[in-house]
Parts: sequence; C-alpha cells; structure tokens
Amino acid sequence: MTLLNAVEGKEYIIQDIITDDEELNSFLFSLGCYSGEPITVVSRRNTGCVISVKDARYTIDKQLAEAIIV
Amino acid sequence: MRIALAGNPNSGKTTMFNALTGRNEKIGNWAGVTVERKEHPIKKAFCGSNENLVAVDLPGAYSMSPFTSEESITSSYVKNEHPDAIINIVDATNLSRSLFFTTQLLELGIPVVIALNKADINEKKQTVIDVQALSAALNCPVVETISIDNSHDDLAKLVSTAISLCGKTQKAPYSQGEIDLSDKKVVEAADRKRFAFVNKIVADVETRKILTKDKNYQDKIDAILTNKWLGIPIFAVVMLLVFKISQEWLGAWIAEGYEFENGTVIPGLVSLIDSFGQWVAGLLEGAGASAIVSALLVDGIIGGVGAVVGFLPLVMVMYFLIALLEDCGYMARVAVVLDPIFKKVGLSGKSVIPFVIGIGCAVPGIMACRTIRNERERKAAAMLTPFMPCGAKIPVISLFAGAFFDNAGWVSFVMYFTGIVLIFLGALLINKITGLKIRKSFFIIEMPEYKVPSLWNAFKSMCDRGWAYIVKAATIILLCNTAVQIMQTFDWSFQEAASADTSILATIAGPFAYLLVPVVGVLSWELAAAAVTGFIAKENVVGTLAVCFVGLENLIDTEELALMEGAGAEVAGIMAITKAAALAYLMFNLFSPPCFAAIGSMNAEMKDKKWLLGGIGLQLGTGFTVGYLVYTIGTLISDASALNIGGAIGGAIAIAVFAAIVIVLISRANAKLKQEYALSGKR
Repeated sequence: MTLLNAVEGKEYIIQDIITDDEELNSFLFSLGCYSGEPITVVSRRNTGCVISVKDARYTIDKQLAEAIIV
Repeated sequence: MRIALAGNPNSGKTTMFNALTGRNEKIGNWAGVTVERKEHPIKKAFCGSNENLVAVDLPGAYSMSPFTSEESITSSYVKNEHPDAIINIVDATNLSRSLFFTTQLLELGIPVVIALNKADINEKKQTVIDVQALSAALNCPVVETISIDNSHDDLAKLVSTAISLCGKTQKAPYSQGEIDLSDKKVVEAADRKRFAFVNKIVADVETRKILTKDKNYQDKIDAILTNKWLGIPIFAVVMLLVFKISQEWLGAWIAEGYEFENGTVIPGLVSLIDSFGQWVAGLLEGAGASAIVSALLVDGIIGGVGAVVGFLPLVMVMYFLIALLEDCGYMARVAVVLDPIFKKVGLSGKSVIPFVIGIGCAVPGIMACRTIRNERERKAAAMLTPFMPCGAKIPVISLFAGAFFDNAGWVSFVMYFTGIVLIFLGALLINKITGLKIRKSFFIIEMPEYKVPSLWNAFKSMCDRGWAYIVKAATIILLCNTAVQIMQTFDWSFQEAASADTSILATIAGPFAYLLVPVVGVLSWELAAAAVTGFIAKENVVGTLAVCFVGLENLIDTEELALMEGAGAEVAGIMAITKAAALAYLMFNLFSPPCFAAIGSMNAEMKDKKWLLGGIGLQLGTGFTVGYLVYTIGTLISDASALNIGGAIGGAIAIAVFAAIVIVLISRANAKLKQEYALSGKR
C-alpha cells in the first residue's frame, strides 16, 4: 500500500519509492528516506501528511505520499 | 587560513558564523536560509595566536551530491577550493541523518572537526550522545556547541581544535572506495552501505528517551497552525498584526510621538526632523544665504530625505516582527498551509517565504526564491515577489492616503490585497505563457522545531536593516533629491528657470508624462518625474513630489507621514488630479517594475535574459493596466464627464497591444505543447 493509507503513529518499512524523478529520488535518499528504512506517518492532512524519517519531521503532499510504498 | 562551515540545512551554521565573526548575516528557523557563500575574518578573541583566520559560511547540504543550486555551491567549494579545515556542524537532534554528510566530508582529506550543535535541545529531550565514543568511531574531534548561546567557551575550543588539525591528515572512518560514479545502481548501493555504517554508529553512541516518531506537543501546535480551516485565517491574523503594530501602533507612535492620557507628549522622530529643518532654515537666514541655497538645503535635502527617514520607525518595527516570524519556525508551516492554493496556480508553497520577506524588502525576498527546486516555479516566484508592496513603498502609500483619502486605513489594505491578487493572476499568466504541462509536482518541506524567537537577534536584524535604510536615504535618495531640486531650479542655460515648467527636469520628464496620461488623466511632468525617480528607489516618489510641486513641501508635513491639518484638499488641489487618478497613480508606482536593486537581484536569480525581460514586461504591463483600469473605471463612476477621452483611447490601445503580445505567447506555448503531446502519443 502507499503511505496515503498508512495508519497514523505506526512505523512502516519503506518498500519502494515510485518516481521517475531521479533527482527527487536521490534527495529523498539523502534524507534517509529509501527502501528498507522505517517511516512513520505522524499525522494526516487532507492535502498530504506529516512524516517522521530518521529524526526529522517533514510535511509532504499527496502526490509524494502516493509514491512511497510501504 | 580558511575554515569552512558545512553541514545539513538549518543546523545553525550561519548563527555560528555570526558568533565567530561578529557579522549579522540573515538567519532563520527553516531549511535553506543561506543561499550564498560568505567569508569574513574570525574575531580575534577566538583566534588565539593565529592571525588571518577566515570563516566561510556555506549553504546547507544533505550530501555531496547536489540537489538544489545552493547545495552545489557547498560541494564544489569544499571539493575545489581546498579550505584549510572544515567545521562540520552536526544537528545533535538528528545525528542519524547528519552523519551521512559527515562521513563524506571526512573522505575529502581536509581536516574536519565536528561541532555537535543544539546540545541544549538534546538535553531537554533527554537524549544522550556519548561524545567520546562518537569521536572515536569517526576518528575526528567532536566539540559540543550551542551556537545560539555564545556565553560558553565552546566556540573558542572549536576554533583552536580546527587550527591544531591544520596540515594533519585524518584517516577516514569510512571509505567508499573506487566505484563507477556514473552508474546509478552502484552509487546507490554504496550510499546504502554508508547509511548502514552511520546507523551502526548512531545505535552505539546515542540513547534516546523520547522517540521522534511519537507525537509530541509540537505536533499539536502544528495541528492547529496548519489546520485545514484555521491555517489561513491564523496566517491572515498574524500578518494583519504585523501591519497594525508596525504601521499604526508601535511604529507610528515612534514616528509621530505618543500622547499619554495625562497629556504628557513624547515627541516622535518626525517632529525632531521638522525642528531640525527649521533650525537650519533659521541659521541660513541669519547667515544671509540666498533663497536658492536655502531652498536646496531645507526643502530639497532635509525635506526630501527627512520625508523618507520619517518612515524609519515603521519600517524598522516591521523588520523586527518579520525577523521574529522567521526565527520561531512558523515560516515552514505557512508554506504547508499555502501549498495547496499555490499549487493551483503553478507555484510552490515555499514561495510564500519570498513573498513574506518581500514585504520588508524585495531584494532578500527574491534571493529567498533559490530554495525552490523547480526552475519554472523558482523563476515565477522571483518575478512575482516585487508585487508585494515593500518597506520602501510605505511612504508612497501613506502620502497618497493622507493627501487624497483622509488617511483612510483601507488604502493600505487595498494595496497589499491587490499585491496578493496580482501575484495569483501573474502566476496564472506565467503558467499559460510557459505552457505548464500536466505533471506531478512534489512538495516536501522539513518542519523545524519551534523555538522561542531571539529578541536580540531580531533587534540586531532590525538595526542592520534600519541602518541600511538610513544609508540609502543619506546617499541615493539624498543624491536624487538634490539632483531633482537642482534640475527643477535651473533651465538648460543654467539660469534660474523662469518657471518650473521650463526647467531641465520638466523638459526631460515631459515625454514620459504622455505615457502617464491614461493613468492620471492629465499631462503632468511632475508626476512623470516622480515615477521615473521611483525606479532608482521607491521612496524617491515621495521626495520628488515634495520637491516638484511648488509649495507642496509646505503642506505635506513630509516628515509627519501625513498632511498638516486640513491641507489634504490643498495638496490634492496642487497636484491637480482627481481621487481616482491619485489611486491609479499610486497603484502604477507600486505594481510597475521595482527599483533597480530588485531588478538586479531578479537578474541574479533568473540567470536568463528572456525571463528577466519577460518579468519586467509583465510588471510594466501590470502596473499600467491596473493604473489605467482604476483611473478609467473610477472616473466613469464618479464623474464620467471628467474622463480624458484621448488618454482613455491611447491607454486602451496600449493595453490591447500588451494583451496581443500575451495572446501570441500563449498560443505559441499551446502549439508547442500540442506538438509535444502528439510526439509522446506516437511513442
């Protein structure tokens, strides 16, 4: 499933990131957001969600949440 | 000897740079405040016996492989310019992410010392890092620092450690080895290994009681500030407060003085300038100076510059408040709130940061666009930032609100509101012209931890910007005012002009006046001259008007931001334009191209002549169109018979030409898009 359907507060392991934007992919990688790493949806908004990766919080939009498979 | 400061965004590099050098570079609590490299000698107190120590502040980066343009500044600097040592600032609250970059820096062969920053936040969160174990694991000295608080000796220790390392070699704890950098898969595999190495170190040295993934009180604040329904109203209230406090309450009290209930009056800055002008006039009269010299000095220089300096309190209070907003961590939340709306017009939510900074001054606002990753979104934001009325435009707005609208508060409100509307319309237009493709755009922004904003930093930032404002008033604006005063006193044979209409200024500004007829309804070289000097600095509009209209300087209490009691009608009479024309002229000045300094920074951000010309064209077209519409419609409603028919027709033709250009550009973009879709359909 995608991050969009993830349960708030539950830690998931990223399976894959589906994007043809290689730059974005490597950017996410440098944040520690890549397959095999844990990710948690801290809270969900109707336009996206707040995620916790490593020890930082990010707000991402729906499009990006859909691209992250957990 | 050069020491480079490198680390993740928002880890506190510039704060440390300021502490080390005594500089006052822009800081803020979001990722990507610093977009350029800055160098400055380190304070003697930190240098010990060493001389010529220079600190180099670099934009934040997550890794050596650049993602945005400012990240590439960092990686190319440390790779190619060979600093003598690197201070790697590591955000202690996010070791697991920061050390990825650290291990890359350690491989460069340049001595590295780690500043484990934000140690105070860790203490609060009961996170413990075994500094010695970390140092041993990385084979690199580690100094704990709190860069927002320079009462400790940690900075001196940091610098002396960096000096002691110079010339020595450190063995990198992790080495990537020779790999094929062009092969994406190989690089990713190597990076995964690096992260695994980092994860192991973090597991060994860090003990956390509070896990980041768990909800905390900060998330509760976020839930309110970025709430679906409340987010935008809260932002509106915050901005309204910024304006109220700076323009009507605190700022206005300092400018105009404050009267307590018991009748005690504290004089404001403007009355002081006023008395100064009168004092000088008295001196000149006593010394028997000629009327020309007296007029030049008192009306031209003190009057014109004083008009601008009188607004200093308003502008400084505004800078102070914006600095507080930038420091507390709210800006990233505003970007989140506005992203869904901005996305609809093809802008990134991050462009709200330039727009808010642009309220103070467009130049740093435009520079703040650099963190927007998508090139088209970045250029569009740089082009649109000047529509936000900046601090220099406040005097212009106040003058017209005072002269024509009885100081009505709505004038100011309408100007800012129009600015926002124009940003949205402009963004839509840019979309159409550049042919925005239906594409997936991703938005990701780090949520920095909230912190209590530092009053001292905001005060320093305010003084810095305030000083720049004074310098500008004392140089550019003084020069312009003097030039204007001289040019309108003399004619081309350098005799005192018989009337101002035969002066040098009148003949130069005359041709421009024709272009303004559709906006103001009359042929007025004075208004044209003011608009033209406005391109040098927008405050000039006020100064030039005060100088040009004979007698005006006696009526506008230039320093009092408004008019003397009952003078409003008289000033309106002297300018000889209607209310509709005044509003139109004001808007033309606000929404036409910004001052040269802002155009210069637009050029620097866009790096593309076509975009720059397009931007200036858009601003010119917008300013003219808005002015024309306001004047024409306003006049038709209030007194249709007063409409200058010739001007109205001329203006309509000009706008038709402008519209035609836009339509041609849009249809060209559409044709191109169709072609591209057709091609992709074939595949």
